[in-house]
Parts: sequence; structure tokens; C-alpha cells
Amino acid sequence: MEGPASTRPRRTCALWCPDWPVVAARRFDPALVDTPVVVVDRGARGKVVVSASAEARAEGVAVGLRVREAEARCAGLVVLDADDAADSRAFELVVRAVEQLVPRLVLERPGQLSFPTRGPSRYFGGDDALVARIVACVRELDIANVRAGVAEGTFAAGLAARATEERGCDSVVVPVGETPAFLAPWPVTVLAGSVDATHGGGGDLVDLLARLGLRTLGVFAELPPAAVLGRFGPPGVLAHRLARGEVEHEPVATVPPDELLEAIELDPPATRVDEAAFAAKMLADRLLAHLDALGLCCARVIVEAETEHGEHFSRTWRHEGALTPSTLVTRVRWQLDAWLLTDTVTAGISRLVLAPDDLGPAVGRQLGFWGGDPAAADRAGRALARVQGMLGPDAVVTALDGGGRTPAERIRWVPWGEPREPGRVPGREPGREVPPWPGAVPGPAPARVFDPPVPAELVDAAGAPVAVSGRGEPSAPPAGLRCAVLPDGGGPLVAWSGPWAHDLRWWDTRRRRALWQVVVENGVDGAGDGAGVACLVVLERGRAAVEAVYD
Amino acid sequence: MAVVAVPFEKSPSETSSSETSSPETSSPDNLPRRDDEARARLHEVARGAAPVVLARDRAVPLPGPLDDLVPGGTVARGSVLRVTGRPGAGATTVGFELAAAVTALGEWAAAVEVDATLGPLAAAGAGVALERFAVVRRVPLARWATVIAALLDGVSLVLAEVPRGVALGDARRLEARARERESVLVVAETHGAVWPGGAAFTLHAAASAWEEHGASVVDARRLRVEVEGRGAAARPRAGELARAG
Repeated sequence: MEGPASTRPRRTCALWCPDWPVVAARRFDPALVDTPVVVVDRGARGKVVVSASAEARAEGVAVGLRVREAEARCAGLVVLDADDAADSRAFELVVRAVEQLVPRLVLERPGQLSFPTRGPSRYFGGDDALVARIVACVRELDIANVRAGVAEGTFAAGLAARATEERGCDSVVVPVGETPAFLAPWPVTVLAGSVDATHGGGGDLVDLLARLGLRTLGVFAELPPAAVLGRFGPPGVLAHRLARGEVEHEPVATVPPDELLEAIELDPPATRVDEAAFAAKMLADRLLAHLDALGLCCARVIVEAETEHGEHFSRTWRHEGALTPSTLVTRVRWQLDAWLLTDTVTAGISRLVLAPDDLGPAVGRQLGFWGGDPAAADRAGRALARVQGMLGPDAVVTALDGGGRTPAERIRWVPWGEPREPGRVPGREPGREVPPWPGAVPGPAPARVFDPPVPAELVDAAGAPVAVSGRGEPSAPPAGLRCAVLPDGGGPLVAWSGPWAHDLRWWDTRRRRALWQVVVENGVDGAGDGAGVACLVVLERGRAAVEAVYD
Repeated sequence: MAVVAVPFEKSPSETSSSETSSPETSSPDNLPRRDDEARARLHEVARGAAPVVLARDRAVPLPGPLDDLVPGGTVARGSVLRVTGRPGAGATTVGFELAAAVTALGEWAAAVEVDATLGPLAAAGAGVALERFAVVRRVPLARWATVIAALLDGVSLVLAEVPRGVALGDARRLEARARERESVLVVAETHGAVWPGGAAFTLHAAASAWEEHGASVVDARRLRVEVEGRGAAARPRAGELARAG
């Protein structure tokens, strides 16, 4: 199954420290050693365990468990909140130790890094010797649990590092050319993280594959590539390439030209992380906007910093798939944190450069078929969140048709960012806008809805207020309406319909109301037949009020 | 005094090779750069994926009857439109029709209200996709211009009801912001206040006529709209926007 040379990825070594958040926490607080520790983070279902120590795992705590359940399973459990910046700072030590031995390190996330092995393994006498050397070097830092895997491509190398757990050894070296065979038995779920980042819904793709009976990478890899593209689109192709042990995209064998670098001079030099991170955010936005306009995306970014003392630092960060604004900014921030808070730099950072690397065509991003441009949604989301920050979360809302008899009852406002549940209305079927609501006011929805209604006077031809009896009979046909919200304060009626009598609470005889639709003469000459201001008048306890105007 | 880590004679590019983790990729200064070739190669790679913006995409096409009333049938991005009309004449509905043109393209619209009376179901009736139509309710006057400027940054169309007391300076700044961000600002003078700034054209809802149908007198509507403005819109036009109930 070995592909042509251009699609075969470079041989890569992945170094993985399992449960790095726990290891990092123990380095900062030695009292936590030998006690069960979990690190939790806010997930979709509340706080869940993202990392657990061996002691906690022995008691049945697993990643993905809710905090309360983890605490119930393991007495004396120490629960810590996730702190990516601290993890990154702690990992800086490992990075510095490893970069003494091999060049071209690429950081994936705190706890995992990778590097191409071609040069180093020749120097150290083979992949096995190289890996043994690296693992020993990290062990010297008092980090017991470190694993390494060597295979073709970062994805396969990462899996090789994970395979060490089953095989009970420190490192797994997949022989040259056997990467596809090594990948074949893995379940397709391992693709979720790699496809997710770029295209959104990697979890969906993996689910779909499993439901179609394609449960392992090997089975998925046997499908013809054209069929995969036709059925699953660009995310499917990316997943397929990974499953076949090929490169994610055709590599662009070129150094990015200078105009793609984004640099900023910081004056005065930044000594605090937040100052530097603020500048980095601007750089990251500029970089991605520039690449976007060219139709390119990058999978790796090189963060370079110069200090006042002329020191020069550089680190490469990679993200599965392609870097998005949020993932890029997080990685740059981690790096700045590691440099500034571990006393690596002796002075403030005076120049910051972001250079894209591993460029490829941005084929994955396309206009959503139903939901519009995802970039536009992202932009709108940021703007609306900013307004929420100014005015409070309830100030920005979207509307739902909640069902009801009057316009005011039907509107349900959902604060922006909270889930809209269209399924709330009983009897709603997909594809049908509003289910018929017994007793609803007919006609189109009004454009102005007053909640509470504005007091008004609905009078008959003699000028007496119109009343509606308990049986829904009007005392006289209405002839005029006066209300503050109408132009010129109201006037005679052109037409009317109703009343619709509603029992609000059938057990309470006083809670009744009657609704009228009336068209009030608007005083504009030559407007035509039937012209006027249409409004909805509610009559309750003998008092009239305008509930809505059909503006 | 802090220790200077690098001898003074050494040039930064030399230091980078000793300090950095990946001399080959991370300090591109050291490489023989073939930028022209690289550029050409990148251009070729990106050719299939680069976004193309046609001139007609920079304007929002108006669907339905407004198409005939507005010159060219489109609203240029970055322009300001004014919507006027007495209460009940249909100005709000005209505003919703404009918002519907944007959400129909899969983009976002937002409305800023003065007194929290907007009826969103009428917006849905005019064709607005409610999940892409955010409403900002009850904005204090002191924050009004700031909120609209923030919204213009992110959404394609902002339907803003003009409260009393908007300063001319704020209006000018919002016009500039809309132009810069290529968003459409629709100012609705539905609450008696006048927009102090300029506008590409004005849509005036003159009057609505209602037709009876079945038990309801408020059913089908004929909304008379008058359009006038600058440039191509200088010749006043009038037409009817009919919507069956």
C-alpha cells in the first residue's frame, strides 16, 4: 500500500508525556506526589476530568468523567483546574533538554512534541538508539512517564507513542514502510482530533464512519480516494490520507516568502505576558487574514522573539489540521508564557515575529451549504459577544417562535450564545414553520409588539367604550381608537374584525380577554382604499390597550 | 546589571542558529531565499482555493419588490440607508426586508432597538433567518454609537432605530465605520428622531393598505414605498410592496 514518494510523509518521532497536566502540577507542588490527582476542565457537560494520575486511575477514575463522579469513586482525590499556561511553562524544561540533542522540534501541545528523525537517527545510530537517548534525557529531569514513537508522519508517530501503553515499553519504532500496516488495526475514533480542528465536526465524520461499518483505519484506507471525496468531502479526504499513512496535504516544498512573515516591534519592550500576548493576537489575526486572502493555510507557525539584550528565540508550534485564529493565539501565548515566566529571557521582548510554515492550499474551508460562511459567523459572534460585554448578556438576543395565541405570547427571546431550542413547541414538525395554534390571532405577525400593552380607548359610534360580554358578544361595533402610539393619537376606524375571546385561565372567571384587529384611518390623503394603521387591541377587565401595531 | 547573553560582534542571524531549536526552518534569513520562485509556487498551489471577490459580490442584491425601487436592485456594502415613515405606515417592515436580503446570503444582521418593541416574527415573515438576526434591546443613548460601531465590525447589516439626541459627530463616525468595514447601516427614523448624518438613499414608507380576508381585516398588505437619494437614486421612485397574508 506504499504510496509514491511525494505522498509518503517524513519519518517522525513523537515524544509524549502522558497526563502532562498532572505531572506539571506535581512539579509546581511536590506535596501532590503519591496522592490521587485529577485535572479538570470545563467541557460541554460541565467540569470533566481531562487528566488523572496513576493513583486516581487505579481507583477507577477515567478521562471524561464528571468531577462529582470522580470524587465519588476515589476518596481523598485532589481536584485541580486546568492551567494550560503552567503546563506549557513546565514543558519548556523538557523542550530545552530535547533540543540539546535534536533540531527542528515542533510542539504539538504541552506534553507532546515531534521532530523529523532523518538526520538525528543517522547521527545517533538508528531510530532505536535515538529514541533511547531522548527518553533517557527526559528521564534525567525526573519525569518518569515518557513515551516515544517513530513512524512515517506526525499522526502515525503520535499513535506509535500511544501504542507503548499496550505493549508495556517506553518506545515503539515502526519499521520503515510498515506505517500503513501499523495504522490498520486502530479504530477510526483516533481520527477525531485530527480532522476536527480544521473542518469542524470531525466527531461527526468519525461517528458516521463507525455507523457505516468502517470501524478501523485499515478498512477505511481501502476505500478508493475518489469515492471518499465524493461521499465525505475535504474532511473525509484528509482523514483518508491520514488513515493510509500519507501526508495531510501535498507539501509545498518552499520557504514562505518574506512578505508572509508578520513582525512587530514592541516599544517599550514587553516584560509581562499579557502585553506580549496582546501584540501576538494582532499579529496572529494579520497573519491568518493575509493567508486567507491568498487561499493558503498553514499547519505550523514559528514564533520568534528578540529581546532588548539581543537574544533570539524561536519555537515551532503545530496543530493538527490547520491553525485557526483561536488555536494560533493560544499557542503563541503558551510560548510567550514559557519564555517570560521561566526566566529564559533576561530582558523584555522587543520584537515578535510569526512565520507560517508548512503551507498548503486552504481547500477545507468552504462556504457552509446551509449555515453561511463560517468565517462570517465567527466575526459576527465576536462582535455580538463584545456588545454583550458592554451591556450584559441579556441585552443581545435572538428570537424564537414560542407558540401562543397573541403576538406577544409567541415571541421568545434567547440570549445570544445560549442554545436555541426549536423543538420546544409541541407538535412542531420539521419543515413546517408554526403549528396551528387554537384561538390564535389570524393574519401576519405585527412588526411592533408592546409588552405590556399601551392603554387605549376603543369607542363605538356614540363615543362610549366598547365592552365585550362573557359570551364574547360586543356591546356595540367599534368606531374609533385613541392611543398614544398611533399617529395623531388615533382616529376613526376604517375596518375592524373580532372580537376573539380568550379564556386565560379557565378556572378564574375574571381572567378573560377579547382581541380586536382594527385599521385606523391614518390621515394621509390619496393613500388608497383600505389604507390605515392596522393594530391589535386587547380588551381586558373593561380596559382597552394596543398590544401590537402592524408597522 | 543583567548579563548580555550574546557577544556584541555577533550578528543576530548567527546567534539564531545557536539559540534556536530548528535552524533550518525557524530562521529563514539563513537560507538562500528564492522568493520569486517561492511566490510563483505558492500562487499556483493557492490558485484553486483563493477566494474570488467579484464586483457584484460587494453589493447586496435585494430580493422581491424592493429590487425595482432601488437603483440597480442592490445595496452597496459600506453605505448608509435611511428608512422613514409614520408609525403604522410600514417603515419597520421595510427595514426587515433589507435585513432579509442579507440573511438570505448566509450573512448576519443585527437590529438595535430604542424601546424594545420590535416584533421578530414579522421579521421572519419578511424572510429574515432569525438564527442570524441578533437584536440588541434597550441601549442607553450614551452607549448607542459604541454599540453600533461594534456591530458594524462583525455583521453585514445593522438595522438601527435612531433615538433622540444622536450627535452629528457620532453619525459621521458611524458612516465612516460602515464604509471601512463594508457593512450596511440602515437607520430607521421610526421614533420621531432624525438621523443627523447622510444616507445613500431614503426609503419612505408612505402608507399601508389592508385587504380583508376571511375573518380578519388585517391580512394582505400593499405597502407604498417612495425612494429618493443621491447619485443614481436622485430620480424619486415609488412603488408598492405587496405581501399576501
